[in-house]
Amino acid sequence: MLAEYFPILLFILVGLAVGVIPVVLGALLGPHRPDPEKNSPYECGFEAFEDARMKFDVRYYLVAILFILFDLEIAFLFPWAAVLGEIGLFGFVSMMVFLAILVVGFVYEWKKGALEWE
Amino acid sequence: MNVTALLDTLLAFSESKLGPLWGPATYELVTSAVFIVLIVAPLMLCVAYLTLWERKLIGWMQIRIGPNRVGPLGLLQPIADGVKLLFKEVILPTNANKALYILAPMLGIMPALAAWAVVPFAPEVVLADINAGLLYVIALTSFGVYGVIIAGWASNSKYAFLGAMRSAAQMVSYELGMGFALVVVLMVSGSLNLSDIVNAQGRGLFASKGLHFLSWNWLPLAPMLLVYFISGVAETNRAPFDVVEGESEIVAGHMIEYSGMTFALFFLAEYANMILISTLTAVMFFGGWQAPIDSALFNLLPPFGWLLAKVFVIVSLFLWIRATFPRYRYDQIMRLGWKIFIPLTLVWIVFVGAWMQTPWNIWK
Amino acid sequence: MFETAVFYAFAAILLVAGACVVTARNPVHAAMFLVLAFFTASGIWLLLRAEFLAIALLLVYVGAVMVLFLFVVMMLDINIERLREGFWKNLPLAVVVGGIMMAEMAAVLAGRYFGVAPRPLARAADYSNTKELGRLIYTDYAYAFEIAAAILLVAIVAAIALTLRGRKDSRRQDPAAQVRVRRSERVRLVSMPADKE
Repeated sequence: MLAEYFPILLFILVGLAVGVIPVVLGALLGPHRPDPEKNSPYECGFEAFEDARMKFDVRYYLVAILFILFDLEIAFLFPWAAVLGEIGLFGFVSMMVFLAILVVGFVYEWKKGALEWE
Repeated sequence: MNVTALLDTLLAFSESKLGPLWGPATYELVTSAVFIVLIVAPLMLCVAYLTLWERKLIGWMQIRIGPNRVGPLGLLQPIADGVKLLFKEVILPTNANKALYILAPMLGIMPALAAWAVVPFAPEVVLADINAGLLYVIALTSFGVYGVIIAGWASNSKYAFLGAMRSAAQMVSYELGMGFALVVVLMVSGSLNLSDIVNAQGRGLFASKGLHFLSWNWLPLAPMLLVYFISGVAETNRAPFDVVEGESEIVAGHMIEYSGMTFALFFLAEYANMILISTLTAVMFFGGWQAPIDSALFNLLPPFGWLLAKVFVIVSLFLWIRATFPRYRYDQIMRLGWKIFIPLTLVWIVFVGAWMQTPWNIWK
Repeated sequence: MFETAVFYAFAAILLVAGACVVTARNPVHAAMFLVLAFFTASGIWLLLRAEFLAIALLLVYVGAVMVLFLFVVMMLDINIERLREGFWKNLPLAVVVGGIMMAEMAAVLAGRYFGVAPRPLARAADYSNTKELGRLIYTDYAYAFEIAAAILLVAIVAAIALTLRGRKDSRRQDPAAQVRVRRSERVRLVSMPADKE
């Protein structure tokens, strides 16, 4: 089994190399003439006034948290879907109960307006 | 087969030279490396020519000619673009976090390439034939968001940060739709291995009559195909879901401060992701390398040719969509992802699951 | 032989990454080192033939949890100097917690020498770790599985209760209502008698 994962590790390294090589080449071949105006952050013509890292709407956190929870749900669904043909009606029903409990959460989320984007 | 014989000779050769322990290891390393280069090099070429095809196709749709100056029919245009970007300055903004700023484009391109490790190109032709292939693909597509977030934060520019936040929330929302849609594919295939998923589509009532294209997943799982493909468009931040770049409001989003090769990497990653999503759509829903009808005429094209043809059609669909639809508003994007796709996929999981419990199960 | 070498390489990367998470001055750097730590941890799980768990670790932790972490550290304007002030005050507590965790880990790891922890068995090539898990979770461990659903439900409710604040100042559009609008609700046709000068 591990032998099949070796090419994947190699591919990840190659993927990183494909990222690194052009940047190195670009840095070597391109000109390098820094200028305070050129290196200032882009701001549609006027001077940048305050730090760009501002506070954000809490809604973005909520989306991220809900994403984690549903991602976990997917992680639970995967082994189930792979063996659905073997575990029979009992396995099917136990997943339906699982989904029913989570649909309650989803409905709550929906009714509470957590999915509204104002 | 010639290739198998050649590989066997190579293995024997390396064993005789390097001994029983290091011989097979070296053989493994060399053959994998060659295979990876055989995937990555043509892929990069495809990415380059996809940009040309996009400009040509959208040009034709808008009754223009598209690029036609560099080389015959503009065929050398992508190479000219690449060379130009190579000789441009890589600008490091003053307030940027330098290390992360350089790292971001690399994080963007790595998952777009590494996911190809498990894609089956033809029967038995796959680099890493792992049992958890589908899971691996989902895990890697979920890494794409890092390049965007890190780029937006490291640039220390307002537009970049706004674009990164928008896109991060959008990408994670659509990952859920994709994940649930793939769960349904997995249910009917009964295997996480992508080659097995393709093979499973070649079985069934219609396939036994030679009409393979009616046995593919697109027919019984049509809603999931829609969810998967549209989520794929949103996941790659393509029009009409391109509020991340949103030229008319936040200029270029997370890429705004990037120039030269660092910018080119983001561009490469976007197009490589488009080809990846198209290939996965072909593998999951359109029978991968299989010919639509099992007859001598259709078998003239080799399996890899069929996969290529399907991917080409689906990629062109991405471009067509871009030419046709106006950009979505952000609240509409989030509504589509959370309120339509997720309930739809959940219902379909229950429906297909219940179907498989009945005697009319067609996926035995 | 190879496996042992790979294990030590991964373990070394993991430890260095873990140390960097704690010592990095910039919280975003710390988060990125944590991503690296998860990545190598997943590699080590793979060495133990836990295929599904290794990739699920990447999917859930790297793909989802760390994205949330990045959201939080990027947007919360954390003042690093202020955080560092509490270092010496909190050190004794941290040492106690760390010590207990280390003792527990040692107990688990030493299990091999007492013959507790079994080594992974050699399996056939088409053995699927995911399927094996699937056969057990939804049948033998169905109760634990449903409890997991209940915990996830509580998490959803808690997340919403903690973070959802209705904003009064924002103007919002309701696309469904916009689509449902009929002409009669918006336009009133009034027939006026023609004026004569």
